[in-house]
Order: sequence, then structure tokens, then C-alpha cells
Amino acid sequence: MRKSALMAVDEVNQSDEFDFAFAPHLRDPGGVVAAYHTACADLIREEHVDHIVGCYTSASRKQVIPIVERTERLLWHPARYEGFESSDNVIYVGAAPNQHVVPLVRHMLDHISDEVFCIGSNYVWTWETNRVIREIVTSAGGRILAERLLELGETAVDHIVKEIIDRKPPVVFNTLVGESSYAFMRTLHAAATRAGLTIPMLSCSLCEPELKLIGSAASVGCITSSAYFESIEGPENRAFVARWKARHGADSNLSVDGQSTYVCVMLLARAIRRAASADVGAVRRAAANHRYDSPQGPVWVDPDNNHCFLTPRLARSVPGCQFKIFWEADAPERPDPYLSNLDPMAIGTGAEKSNDAMTKRSNHLRVVK
Amino acid sequence: MTRPSPFSVRGRRALMVMRDEREIAIMRRQLNRLGMTISEHDPAEVPPPDEAVDVIVMDADAIPIKSDLATAWKATAPIIALIGTETPSRLKWLLDLQPASFLIKPLRSAGLYTALVVAFDSAQRRIDEAAYIERLEDRIRSRRVVFAAVLQVMRGHGLSEADAFTLIRQTAMRHRTTIEQLSAEIIAVGGMPNRTTRTA
Repeated sequence: MRKSALMAVDEVNQSDEFDFAFAPHLRDPGGVVAAYHTACADLIREEHVDHIVGCYTSASRKQVIPIVERTERLLWHPARYEGFESSDNVIYVGAAPNQHVVPLVRHMLDHISDEVFCIGSNYVWTWETNRVIREIVTSAGGRILAERLLELGETAVDHIVKEIIDRKPPVVFNTLVGESSYAFMRTLHAAATRAGLTIPMLSCSLCEPELKLIGSAASVGCITSSAYFESIEGPENRAFVARWKARHGADSNLSVDGQSTYVCVMLLARAIRRAASADVGAVRRAAANHRYDSPQGPVWVDPDNNHCFLTPRLARSVPGCQFKIFWEADAPERPDPYLSNLDPMAIGTGAEKSNDAMTKRSNHLRVVK
Repeated sequence: MTRPSPFSVRGRRALMVMRDEREIAIMRRQLNRLGMTISEHDPAEVPPPDEAVDVIVMDADAIPIKSDLATAWKATAPIIALIGTETPSRLKWLLDLQPASFLIKPLRSAGLYTALVVAFDSAQRRIDEAAYIERLEDRIRSRRVVFAAVLQVMRGHGLSEADAFTLIRQTAMRHRTTIEQLSAEIIAVGGMPNRTTRTA
């Protein structure tokens, strides 16, 4: 994320299109949640910055929001997250839940199964994602076979892999993050291969550099939902990937979060140019509805909630640590951070499915003698 | 009957009873983001009669404590109180309104969704509890009838009180009626009603 931010800063500074230059000030709280508050306060008080790009986890963002709200600064947040937030002092550039979780669950119901085994890291992202999955799946008459949680960073996954091999669920929804996810995917792949099983896996967070970390064999075949994949066709992305590889080496891979950080800086630069000012209020107004043809396609800020219109995509991980995109939305989708437009009943309930749902639901009725 | 989930707030109607323009702007923006419909009412005026709303967002500081209007706001719709002054006199006034949830001023973009969810949930719980209490009160009222029926069966069948009650309870279950209902029948016919031929 830092590399992409600096790449964008250099591009803005070298471009004739912008008659100003960014002076980046870097702080690295290193993922220590409590350090984000200090780092952000320091940036505002000592360096007098108006705009802050960063934060990956929701916990770190929640540390920063009170400061940017109190001091009227803007946080440009690149990561997708679980939603249910809408601060006037944050521009949310990552996907809202309707843009990444919902399309994946819809695909699962329409094409794979309505019975799903959920495994995830024990924190807010998994809890909320699982709630959305449960709501949609049960409304469609399906069911959650299990919901297993691992502590963040935990790599002892054997007991859960064994359970999956024993129960052979039609699909596994993986919301593990980091090392837990890599260990899980490797172990499950090995065990499934031994048992001669193919169990489809779904993820809303897997990205190209992670495929490399997992290893080529185990990382293949995961159906992933994201607004960005390195393999997106289109001149903006091809040029972006070429510039990235020229800068960081041909072996270096982009990720959705890296690309999104780049988009943050570019949206900011374009809003400053449009506003002819770096003033927070002016920039926020200028950013609203100002379309940017980014590597991931057209992106613009929805002033209703400060989240971005983005194009949801689904892809399958393939050998070579890449994703092959097999579906994308026809047009950028309006962000719905509170999922207030979500109608779970309208998803995955085709004609034959609603019959199914009726018969399955009748299981809940108990006969009283 | 499926009741609305407290988490789905879209399409619900909010009545804003607020004074401060800046806070009204924040509240209106957040309610719009959540897809709710909004109406407004001047806090200085008499409360509207039985307004068809799902929640009332009320600036507690905007209504004088010593006024006739104070408790007139006690409505059927759940109230979210916006609190600035935390003096006991103000809070006592507020408690009389039984707010379903509250927000501390100054308002931010965060917090309203939680306040709404808590308000809708506690309003639903109040309705459920009121219905439950009504059922219990019905049963208390019919205790006299049940007691009379037990006495009748004790005499008629020569049973102990416990056995007579068990018989009534089991018969009620078999006939898929309530103990209270069967007791009323027992008193009416002067003994166990003969319903063995009837299958419910």
C-alpha cells in the first residue's frame, strides 16, 4: 500500500496535469492498533497534513476517525471493509459489503450450493461477513453447516481441515486473513488431494501476492470477489501494471489494496485540482461524483455516504499466481455501506428455489402431540 | 407473523423534534443514508396527535421541563433522546418519557444506526412484554374458574386436588384446548365434558 501511494505521489508530482506537488509524510504504526491514534495526531499536529491516506484494518480506522473528525481532516481509506460506518471525514475507496460480499454469496447460491461451511478469523470482519452470509443463505432456504473461528494469526488448522474432510461440505467460505488463511488453504488442499475430494472455496479478500505466499498448488481454484484483479483488461490497468513492474520488478505483484491506495491518491489529486484548493471541505465537494478512469475502471465518490461507486468482479485463482475473471457487473455499483437496499429474499430464490425454500422451511415446524 | 428485524431500518419513518440547524442537518443526512423517510415537528409546539411514525428523534434540551408539553410526548413510537444537559432534573424528565435509546450531543455520523436498532428492538420487546403480561393477567383472572373446576372434579371423581388438576391438564392437552377453557366447560356442564368421541 505504501509503495502504491508513493508511486501515485511521484506520478502526480511529475505530471503536467497537476500544477501542485504532494509532499508525503510517512508514518508506520506497523499494525499496532493503539499506535494509529498517535501517528495520526502527530501527522496533523507536527506536519500539519490535511489529508491522510491509509489504515487497513477497521480497528486502526476507528482509532483515526475521532481525530480527523475533531480536526476536520480527511482520511482516504483504501481497504474494503464490513460497512456500517459513514463518517464525513473519511472517503471510503475500498469496497462496501454490497460490492464484494453480496455478489459472491449470490454466485454461491446460483451456481454452487446453498449449504456452506464458514471458516474465518475471530474478529469483526468475519463476524459481520458471516452474518450477511447467514441472512442471505437462510432467506434462500439454505443453511450454514458450520461456523468455525480461529484467533488472528493462528495456524493450527488440522482439526478444522479434518472436520471438513469428514463432512465434505459442498462449499467452504473462507474469511480467514493472513497466515491463518495460507496455512488453512495449504492444509486443506493437501488433505483434499489425499482424500480425492474437490471442495470449492470462496474468499472476499484473497489477492495476487497472497497466492504466491500460499504456493502455486494450494492457491489454485479459489473463487474470489474483488473490485480489482491484476488481470483486468483495459488500457488503464495494462499501463498501470506495466508502470508498477517497471518500478518494482517483473516478479512483483499488485494487490487490490495496493491498487486502491493508488486510486486514493489519484482521487485526492484530482479533487484538489478541481477545487483549486487542498481545503478539506472544498476537496470533499470536488471529489463528489467526479469520475476517475482508474486501473479498476471508472470510480467516483458517492456524496450520499462518502463511499465509492466500484465495479464488483468475481474471479478464479489460476496457476501463475493470477486470477481469471469470470464475471463483472455491467456498470459501477452504488455503495450501500449499511446494506439498507439489501433484500435477502430477492437473492438466490428462483422459481424452483422458492419451492425448495418452502419445503425446507417446513422442517422448522414441530408437530405437537 | 414475521416481525420486522430491528436491523432493517430502510423505509421506516422518523419524526425529528429538534431545534439546532446544524444537528438537524447531520440527522437528516444520516437518516437519508439509511433510507428512512423524515418528517419534522417544532419542539415548541403541541405534539402532533398519534403521528404515524416508527421512531421519534427528540432533542431533550429543546423542550422546557416545567411545561405541559413535557410528558405529552409520551407516545407509542419509541423515542431516541438527544442529550446535551446531563443534570438529574433533565434526566428525570427524560426517564418519564421512557426513551428507547439515546445519543449524546454533539452528534456525529456514527451512533445513529445503533440508537435506531436499540430503539426498534426495545419497542418490539415492550410490545411483546405487554402481550405476555396480558396473557398472564387473563390466566390470573380465570384462576377462580380453574379452582372451581378442580373442586368439581375432586368431588365428582373422588380425586385428590393434585390428581384432579392433572386430569384436567391432560384432558385439556388431549382436546387441544387451554386449562382455562376446559375449566369453564366443566363448570358449565357440571362435570368432565364427554368429548372422547371428538378428535381435535
